Amino acid sequence: MIWRRAALALLAACLLTCLTGAACAQALQYERPVERAPQEKDIGGGYATPKVQKPLPRGAWLEILDVVLLAAAMGVSVWIVVRKRSRRWLVALATASLAYFGFYREGCVCPIGSIQNVTVALTDPTYHIPMVVTATFFLPLLVAVFYGRAFCGGVCALGAIQELVLLKPIQVPRRLDQALGLLKYAYLAAAIWFAILPAISRDFVICRYDPFVSLFRRSGFAHMLALGAGFLVLGMFVGRPYCRYLCPYGGLLSWFSRLATRGVTITPDKELDCGLCTEACPYGAIDQMRAVRRKCLYCARCYASCPREGPLARAKDIVPVEELR
Amino acid sequence: MEYRHTRVMGGKLSAPEWFAHSLRGLCTGPDGRLYAAGDSQVLVFDPAGKLLRRWPTAKPACSIGINPAGRVFVGQPGQVEIFSASGTLEKTWRAGWLGEVTALGFHNGDTFAADSSSRTIRRYGRDLSHLNDIGRDNRTNGFLIPNGVLDFDIDPSGTIHAANPGKHRVERYTPEGQLLGHIGRFDGVDPEGFPGCCNPTNVALGPGGQVLVTEKAGARAKVLDAAGKLLAVLGDKIFDANSKNMAITADLRGRVYVAEPVRLQILVFEPVRAKAEAL
Amino acid sequence: MSKTLSRRRAIGRVARGAAVTGIGLTAGFLVKKAEGQVVWQIDAAKCVNSRLGEFGVKVCDLCVKECVVTQSAVRAVNEFSKCGRCCVCPSYFNVKSAVGRDGLPSEKLCPRDAIQRKPIGEADPNDPANNFYEYVIDEVKCDGCGKCVMACKEPAGLGSIVLRVRHDLCVNCNNCAISTACPKDALSLWPALKAVLGESAPA
Repeated sequence: MIWRRAALALLAACLLTCLTGAACAQALQYERPVERAPQEKDIGGGYATPKVQKPLPRGAWLEILDVVLLAAAMGVSVWIVVRKRSRRWLVALATASLAYFGFYREGCVCPIGSIQNVTVALTDPTYHIPMVVTATFFLPLLVAVFYGRAFCGGVCALGAIQELVLLKPIQVPRRLDQALGLLKYAYLAAAIWFAILPAISRDFVICRYDPFVSLFRRSGFAHMLALGAGFLVLGMFVGRPYCRYLCPYGGLLSWFSRLATRGVTITPDKELDCGLCTEACPYGAIDQMRAVRRKCLYCARCYASCPREGPLARAKDIVPVEELR
Repeated sequence: MEYRHTRVMGGKLSAPEWFAHSLRGLCTGPDGRLYAAGDSQVLVFDPAGKLLRRWPTAKPACSIGINPAGRVFVGQPGQVEIFSASGTLEKTWRAGWLGEVTALGFHNGDTFAADSSSRTIRRYGRDLSHLNDIGRDNRTNGFLIPNGVLDFDIDPSGTIHAANPGKHRVERYTPEGQLLGHIGRFDGVDPEGFPGCCNPTNVALGPGGQVLVTEKAGARAKVLDAAGKLLAVLGDKIFDANSKNMAITADLRGRVYVAEPVRLQILVFEPVRAKAEAL
Repeated sequence: MSKTLSRRRAIGRVARGAAVTGIGLTAGFLVKKAEGQVVWQIDAAKCVNSRLGEFGVKVCDLCVKECVVTQSAVRAVNEFSKCGRCCVCPSYFNVKSAVGRDGLPSEKLCPRDAIQRKPIGEADPNDPANNFYEYVIDEVKCDGCGKCVMACKEPAGLGSIVLRVRHDLCVNCNNCAISTACPKDALSLWPALKAVLGESAPA
């Protein structure tokens, strides 16, 4: 750790020396000669110098609003899963998040990308991370410590768009699922590597290769739009491929989720361990009739498929076993 | 008419006494000596290029001129310092105006100073009292000099030839300020015209009545005849491309000196006798 | 059984506490050296098209090409107080083109015809060269290609036209693609107020 810091400091010092030298060389070579632009009184005739337009960016309070909405959405997600236990509500939340964080805010800054900002802030002393981005990074992790991947459920815009296009989920074999799941840690490592490079060669790869951002912006290079469309088509049959196999933030969330004790709970029932929830879960997050916190993406399909409490329970009459005899 | 580039004098960091930041004024004395003003000093050279004398100025020197009595006038921001021929300060002349004196000229006892801040040439009498302004009473309230330097030269008959770069002209005025005419036009392609936004930047008169001009953005020096026809181009690619406001002067033999402000050199051009025209 | 369960619960509690503490400390450390709103802006002293001392370089149009959105938010802006108001503006006209009958160049430089020229002050009806002219860049037509910026650079002009990011148009990406591509690292994050007022150096 210390060696890396020292190496980075040395690199930064060399770079700074070179740049200073280059800047000084520039100054010696060419000094700006005298010039004098005409003033209003020189021009006469009642002329007034027009003001240069200086358009303002979005208000800073709007960025704070985004963080507040992020926290609120996660609160709603937790409430839906712990109290309300309804898939319909979760779909509504996912749609709302997609509309706001996805298409309106165009998916930027998101917690996934903020990994890079936080990495740079921890390694580059000249980089000052805005508070809003720090909050965006840590809030979902904080929630994950207690409630698991509430962020992934109805809040993350990238997750929401995949969630909503999933039509016919194919169960991915366990071994393959495990192997592919390692990809996201490789992606996380790559993202951190490119973020800790010095400023001139630094690149935010998560942002650059985000498949859905060009769809959110409704504009972009052809290959990015194609990538996004490709992920959506894949996402119709394989449940949330980006979230399970590529999302670096998902990797972080799954670590922190191991500590959570609350979140999605499968109704314990000695009489009717029917296993419908295990089949319904597209993400392989139910193991031995229990939700696996680190994989559960808060989609609430298990609730919808449960004969004890979901719509099934309300739609059909469950006949008690005694009556069958 | 042809000119040959014979030598280069100085250059940044070429000698401890040489200019280090700016080189803005050139003029030649009647004895062929070259006077160069820049930084906050004046350097005097003999025709062979040897440094004869140098002395400091109070403020950064913008221009230099020698009156018929042999006194050296050095134009500076807001004042003109008058030195004797040997370099002793005789008078610091601050008139009512503020401004940078970017050119000086003398005729018939009168002193002319170009004030680039108010964009006029001012005429002063024998006792340095203000007589009149030249170039002021036009619709643009003065010369159009976005480059910040107003340059002129006076011919023996007293006509002032002033560079008006915004109009791409060299204008002729009487000492009383009446506009007589002008030569030159804009042309970005034809070398006879003045290219770019504001050229010519500096002007000087040769011994045969030729008009010597320097230009920027396509830095070059040219020799025109009194009617404005192009006689010679002194070095199209010799000057540093970033040069601007190159001072120019000619001595009585027709040798031309051009100050290059980026590399801080003085380039010397000698006239080559034109071949006799076949009848 | 209850002992194991309570031990597990206790370990769980400690682990969660440690996680929360860790998050809190790191977040606190980052917030300490935090900054307010930051936006992307171009430093004219570094931008290829406006930096001094380089004559004859090719115009850099990466600001147009590299943005991930179809039309980038970079525009050429004329800082009027520094403009020379010249009759023959090297950014408006292509000063290398042939001279027309009115004594002015025949071609304009801007490929999208985004600069408007009009006489100001006391107009001289007889002599168009005896006038000041104002040059206004239409930001709807301008796409930030940089040709006029390079043409206005010293010594050809006075350097009053520079490239600027317009913040009402910029999406404000986390990592600006133009910034990654810029060869002189001229595009960087500035505090919002400085970026808008256009002062030269970033924080």
